Amino acid sequence: MNLATYARRNLFRRRGRTILTVLAVAVAVLIFSAIRTVGVTFNAAADDAMSDRLATRHKVSITMQLPRRYIDEVRAIPGVTGATAANWFGAKDPKERIPFFAGFAADDKWFDVFDDMKVDPAQLAEWKTTPSGVILGDILAKTFGVKPGDRLTITSDIYPGDWEFKVVGIYMPQRRTVDRNSLILHWEYLNNDPRAELTKDQIGWVMTRIGGGVKSADMSRTIDKIFDERDDQTVTMSERAFNLSFIGAFAAVLTAFDLVSIVILLIMMLILANTIAMSVRERTNEYGVLRAIGFPPRHIVGFILAESLLVAFVGGLVGIGLVQVLINMGIGPFIEANMASMFPYFRTPPSVMLTALGLALALGLLAGVLPARGASRLRVTDALRRTD
Amino acid sequence: MATEDSIVTLKNVTKTFYRGKEPIKVLEGLDLDVPTGSFEALMGPSGSGKSTLLNLIAGLDRPTSGDVMVAGANLSRMSDGQLAKWRSQTIGFVFQSFNLIPVLTAAQNVELPLLLTDLGSADRKKRVATALRVVGLEDRMDHYPRQLSGGQEQRVAIARAIVNDPKIIVADEPTGDLDRKSADDVLTLMDKLNKELGKTIFMVTHDPAAAEKASVQRKLDKGALQ
Repeated sequence: MNLATYARRNLFRRRGRTILTVLAVAVAVLIFSAIRTVGVTFNAAADDAMSDRLATRHKVSITMQLPRRYIDEVRAIPGVTGATAANWFGAKDPKERIPFFAGFAADDKWFDVFDDMKVDPAQLAEWKTTPSGVILGDILAKTFGVKPGDRLTITSDIYPGDWEFKVVGIYMPQRRTVDRNSLILHWEYLNNDPRAELTKDQIGWVMTRIGGGVKSADMSRTIDKIFDERDDQTVTMSERAFNLSFIGAFAAVLTAFDLVSIVILLIMMLILANTIAMSVRERTNEYGVLRAIGFPPRHIVGFILAESLLVAFVGGLVGIGLVQVLINMGIGPFIEANMASMFPYFRTPPSVMLTALGLALALGLLAGVLPARGASRLRVTDALRRTD
Repeated sequence: MATEDSIVTLKNVTKTFYRGKEPIKVLEGLDLDVPTGSFEALMGPSGSGKSTLLNLIAGLDRPTSGDVMVAGANLSRMSDGQLAKWRSQTIGFVFQSFNLIPVLTAAQNVELPLLLTDLGSADRKKRVATALRVVGLEDRMDHYPRQLSGGQEQRVAIARAIVNDPKIIVADEPTGDLDRKSADDVLTLMDKLNKELGKTIFMVTHDPAAAEKASVQRKLDKGALQ
């Protein structure tokens, strides 16, 4: 036997209460991890952005268009290895099988710049020669139930009427954060349609790939300087900054989520503190006996903190197990399959799980501090008299 | 008068408690000598100060004034930490309600005081076995308190009290929660500890039969020894 034996045995003294407290900690860790996962995966696309890809948009707003000729000027800059332009199409599924997906009209170079969207060469070649051809992400194709060769009718928030396309290819993601729910049509096809008269010969944004020795900040300045004296000035940024600009509106929500996740853990701490306080009260007489036979107050503090930490640790481990089963093996794959536009990747990373466990331990320690302090300060004679 | 072989000497000891601002004198000008190797019983009505006196001798409390000398140490001048260490080396406790730890076996309960020593696991086990043999419970080592009778629990508590080889055993109503038969067994055991192992025993009791077993009976009333 050693001193830890007593702390360990105390854990199972009130088995039901300990199990409920462990479950409370586990659920808190699960909820904390789930909420943090939303934030982490929401930012994952930005965090996972390619460092050699730049985005150029109108200086005023992404909603304002740039002249088409800009793309040729960008391509001519030394150090640029590829560039592509696109217009937002505002695609919608007329049958509403999916609430939102990205649809945009891109030029022929799109898949050169976005080589992490892998397309079969034959399908890519067909897309380049088929004006009404579209390439879809694999999950979107599955949702629509289409394969290469099928016809697909899409509507748009921006351009009226039905748009008939021929599915010519499916792209496969080469990285986990690539959106698998996008539809890419031909820029020329859109540009030549009378319904797109207002955006004729205009492009929404430019994506540029730069060579190895080129610094992205230098290239951004170079691009913007070219258009500095024009009517339509540009702002060029890293792909990460570009992606972040889209989720900026959600930043406040994500911050609120973070606060909620902390509150959940604080509630966990109060539950744990209550359990430990009850246990300590029940054992006051015992602590009096231990003190009488010579155990110093620091040992009493140690017993109580060890018990609190053990409950938090076991609860944290159970919580991580729940995260693994319920999120990473359960709703994670489901969300990726059904909400890929928002969450192409939805798994709780080990860093979040370790943070949850670390916070549970820290708060577990904190939960034990007050009861431990109280017990250690009791006069031995008073503690020996207590029988409740 | 204090003698050279006194293990407990109290000189002009006063203990005052406060109820709010009102002082309550429990012990007043008390002198006491307990010779080494004696078995003394302290009797008296409730509220007479028996437990207070026992707590002072055991180093659980300090006097308001006066000196408490036990086994060569002046307890009045020791800090809480020093007192705790001193208790672990000098005093064996026997309580009325046994006060065993319910989640530990008989052997583990007896081993508790040894965890504060430098003894290794094997030495601790030997000492525990010896202590349980002295109280006649070597076959109940792995039993939990709930699996023992009241008398057996008190004998385990006595084993815990002697495992550290203390100089003095203080017992607070050791037979108070026991039936007559078990009480007699416990008293016989305490008598054996006193006579065969030479342990000094200072016992507080309401039970005249228990007091009969002691070699010296003292009476405390209104804070003064009669």
